[in-house]
Amino acid sequence: MTAAIAGLGCTDVGKVYGQSASDFAAEAVRLAAADAGLTLNQIDGLLVTPGTQGRPTLSLQKQLGLRDLSLLSEVHALGASPAAMLSMAARAVESGAASAVACVFADAPLKPKGSARDAFGGGNRRIPAGFAGLHVANGAITPNVFYAMAARRHMETYGTTSEQLGAIAVGQRAWAGMNPDAQFTAPITLADHQASPMVADPFHLLDCCVVSNGGAAVIVTSAERARDLAQPAIHILASAQAHPGQVMARGSQFGLVTGAAQSGPEAMRRAGITPGDVDLLELYDSYTYTVLVTLEDYGFCAKGEGGDFVADGRLAPGGSLPCNTGGGQLSSYYLTAFTPIIEAVVQGRGHAGERQVADRDVIVVSGSGGVLEHHSTLVLSPNAPEGVVG
Amino acid sequence: MSTDETTATWPDVRSDAKSQEFFAAAEAGELRIRRCTDCAALLAPESTTCLECYSTELEWITAAGTGTVVTWTVVHRAPSPAFAALVPYTVAVVELTEGPWLYTRLADGVPDRAGAPVRAVYLQASGGEHYPIFTLTEGSL
Repeated sequence: MTAAIAGLGCTDVGKVYGQSASDFAAEAVRLAAADAGLTLNQIDGLLVTPGTQGRPTLSLQKQLGLRDLSLLSEVHALGASPAAMLSMAARAVESGAASAVACVFADAPLKPKGSARDAFGGGNRRIPAGFAGLHVANGAITPNVFYAMAARRHMETYGTTSEQLGAIAVGQRAWAGMNPDAQFTAPITLADHQASPMVADPFHLLDCCVVSNGGAAVIVTSAERARDLAQPAIHILASAQAHPGQVMARGSQFGLVTGAAQSGPEAMRRAGITPGDVDLLELYDSYTYTVLVTLEDYGFCAKGEGGDFVADGRLAPGGSLPCNTGGGQLSSYYLTAFTPIIEAVVQGRGHAGERQVADRDVIVVSGSGGVLEHHSTLVLSPNAPEGVVG
Repeated sequence: MSTDETTATWPDVRSDAKSQEFFAAAEAGELRIRRCTDCAALLAPESTTCLECYSTELEWITAAGTGTVVTWTVVHRAPSPAFAALVPYTVAVVELTEGPWLYTRLADGVPDRAGAPVRAVYLQASGGEHYPIFTLTEGSL
């Protein structure tokens, strides 16, 4: 038995106010079940990953009125959580532990009068005592600061340039222009990228992902069951995770090699494919640099050659390796790694409208968490694996 | 006695049981790191487990207070309102001569390359503990 994504639900995303993360999560699960053609009482597994405010939690079960669950858990591996949840759901389905598992994320960091910076920067948070407080007091806080140092090290080591990072932002914005759900759709040029305000050198504003309120869920069932449900099944061919830890000492690969270097090749090995077989990439893109280093670590180009690899528009509409075809987290919306998962499902079903890619037999999805030390990978396909009646 | 105006605006740092010796040494102008008493590996100050042998028997030693810049960022957009008057400032990863890395801040200047040499200087914000940051000894833009 193999597993497939049978349902997809996504709430309105972006500056959507008046609902809590738990409200978004409940709505996303309802939408995903309806999309699959299932009623809520047919869901017997629920996996939840919390957003920045610590919601949703296990209490989502009560909010949805779900009973008789045979699988219920909070999964937390930061940005690696969604693919990790789908992997757990697939194993539960394959083992018979559950038959229809909802995997959900939601967050509501944006407040009507607050800025995105306030949402993720912690505002005037109290400075803890001890070493943790030392980092805060030095202003070594927020993902911007740490990812910027990772990107700077890559640039110092391999000669990667800001313009090369900008090519990723420009290409994804072109994709976003064809996505009605994207928060930012106006075309940008490399000059716009270079002229956008510096956030944390080398990152300009247009190197950084957007911030969104909203929720997303998928329903995972067996491939056999998915065949009889409402939507085309998206098969989960393989998955992998890697959590290499972050060594803070001489010899550390911080900024140069990430958890993707283990997770990506392992997932592709389990699926029996190589990078050359991949039609479509949906990569976690908290920053432009996250895309670049993931391409290297997955083996789409050699280590250190990511800058040249992306500079010619290969990832953009019309390029040879379509990547983040919904605009990604940089332009479309940020729902942790559900951003790439949603786009993979929409493309895999052939429902992407104007931005639909022609070749979609093999889709690779990444999730990345912490400062590049938690990684998860999915290999998806609209085609059932060999030997499975899908 | 008035403190340096630049340093006075940075947030206070408070010690706790695990960091007390580190901050007390900083007040005396010394940088302390950890050494594994089982295998002698040298570790970052906040370490609780040896990276080499997984021992939890760690002791404090005094480091030279010198190192090199591994990477850095000039922060332009304040991560919280507390830093609004402090930007732009430079956060860096420093590799101590002994090997451990520290997330820290550079007192002045921006490195012109990875590998630029630094040395520790000791600050006290308005009322908290003294603590080390680093200054470029050459290679400043």
